[in-house]
Amino acid sequence: MFYRPNVQLTAMALASVIFLTGCYSVRPSSGAGQATASPRRIHAADIALPPGFRIEAIATGLTFPTGVTFDGSGTPVIVESGYSYGEVFVEPRLIAVSGGTPRVIARGTGGPWTGVSFYENNFYVAAGDVQTGGKILRIAPDGTIATLVDRLPSRGDHHTNGPVIGPDGWLYFSQGTATNSGVVGEDNFRFGWMKRFPEFHDIPGQDITLAGVNFTTDDPRGGEKVTTGAFLPFGTASRAGQVIEGSTRCAGSVLRVRLTGGEPELIAWGLRNPFGLAFAENGRLFVTENGYDDRGSRPLWGTPDFLWEIEPGAWYGFPDFVGGEAVTADKFRPPGKPQPQFVLAQHPQEPPKPRAIFPVHSSADGFDFSRNEAFGHKGQAFVALFGDETPATGKTLAPVGCSVVRVDLATGVVEDFVTNRGKVAGPASRIGGGGIERPVAARFSPDGRALYIVDFGVMLHHGQGAKPQQGTGVLWRVTREGPP
Amino acid sequence: MFPFAAMLALAAGLIGCATARRSEPIVGKVVAGDPSLAAGRQLFMQQCHACHPGGEAGLGPALNNKPLPPCLIEFQVRHGLGAMPALKTDRLSEADLDEVVKYLVALRRG
Repeated sequence: MFYRPNVQLTAMALASVIFLTGCYSVRPSSGAGQATASPRRIHAADIALPPGFRIEAIATGLTFPTGVTFDGSGTPVIVESGYSYGEVFVEPRLIAVSGGTPRVIARGTGGPWTGVSFYENNFYVAAGDVQTGGKILRIAPDGTIATLVDRLPSRGDHHTNGPVIGPDGWLYFSQGTATNSGVVGEDNFRFGWMKRFPEFHDIPGQDITLAGVNFTTDDPRGGEKVTTGAFLPFGTASRAGQVIEGSTRCAGSVLRVRLTGGEPELIAWGLRNPFGLAFAENGRLFVTENGYDDRGSRPLWGTPDFLWEIEPGAWYGFPDFVGGEAVTADKFRPPGKPQPQFVLAQHPQEPPKPRAIFPVHSSADGFDFSRNEAFGHKGQAFVALFGDETPATGKTLAPVGCSVVRVDLATGVVEDFVTNRGKVAGPASRIGGGGIERPVAARFSPDGRALYIVDFGVMLHHGQGAKPQQGTGVLWRVTREGPP
Repeated sequence: MFPFAAMLALAAGLIGCATARRSEPIVGKVVAGDPSLAAGRQLFMQQCHACHPGGEAGLGPALNNKPLPPCLIEFQVRHGLGAMPALKTDRLSEADLDEVVKYLVALRRG
């Protein structure tokens, strides 16, 4: 026991702590994207790794890369998204990177393409398609594209993600939610999609009953104030006891489909934005989840990202729980804003507990498990943290994420693995130098000896929203060159 | 009053100069990886890491460059301050808080 309270000490403590920490409420956000645009430099020496590892750039000049896989010969193949927050639309592409020379395998439509896997001579791509709905695509080596699944609810804030092939030979993928926390609001208008699809909203994985909690806001389209309930279109109020019909094609879910296509099966739901999927060596499926933001009609504060082990049939808590804790806990109330209340009258189950916790706003995305002792940390998860997108998503006192971390599943301990050098953490565009920007995926080579990191490139954020910089993406490779 | 003001000024100076970065890529083998600190490290990951990643700044301010004595760390954890919520004994027992503080102090020196 260190603590021995007395009046003098208490007064001194208060004064010291106020002085030393400052006041969160009055300090401006200082996030990863709050920088000015300048040409990207690539200088691997500006990146710090644990002793015994080295990093090098394999491909540069990419536009919005989001995933990497390896073809039958072990050549890395990346997807370029074709869409970025900020409402930037370009052409999604599948590109082989061999000897530093990119070769386009396929060009498509329907961005964002958020990830890719190779299996038995075909590529499988998660196509978010914010215009016509999410899809799972199969792409042959000659570039021929076939659609395995379509009509996924991917027109909102978060998209169709993955995919990975399971040990059962099925294709597993995920679907993010339309909104921040179940309620369509003015933030969705600013994102852009509500202008295209004003009737779009979240869909649950099974029938749910609402508590009748509503939110009154301005209508950014003009006109009177409007009232909106959860799981309903903008401007539609809910009533207590109202039942919302569930669907397999639901928001915040993990699904699977046969490699030949057909109807998808729902594996789990109640996640917010399950972005990364990977199977551990024991065959268990793990998923990263991007936590809630301090934005929109129902903002939440201090909500981390998570690594989940997926239990088939489970509900993970969206939109009423955060990592297994109720949103009604005082710690999730944003400073100066109302305490979040439950929007569901009953909850499908008590949500599970996460296997690891990532920093608030870090955007825990694509990941993989180390499989080779030659690389080290066998069995640990290596997770790409895209980094915060404040001030659009809330406020941070310093850049968060923009690194690759490793997670010890036995303890839940998260340790930096790849991060930029410097007095403070952050993307190179924010802190200077030629290091990493926005890691969005991490995947081991087929032999497990190299970790490939997909760096989305420069993503700036100012009051007007996201400003992604085309042609700034990089594929990095980390190898072990000696003992630690 | 003067000694207290001097202490605050000294603290401000220290904070202005010191980096909070203590992770493995930056400092090599982390001191906080010591097995005797394992319990505190796990508790830190559950209760603190989300807002103070590795003791660095994030949603909240950095911890690793704050010259706070253990008693003041405990005070802030128990009572909260500003945006930081108080962590009562139902979330963090007295014994667990001691482990966290031991870890934080080691991390700061790492």
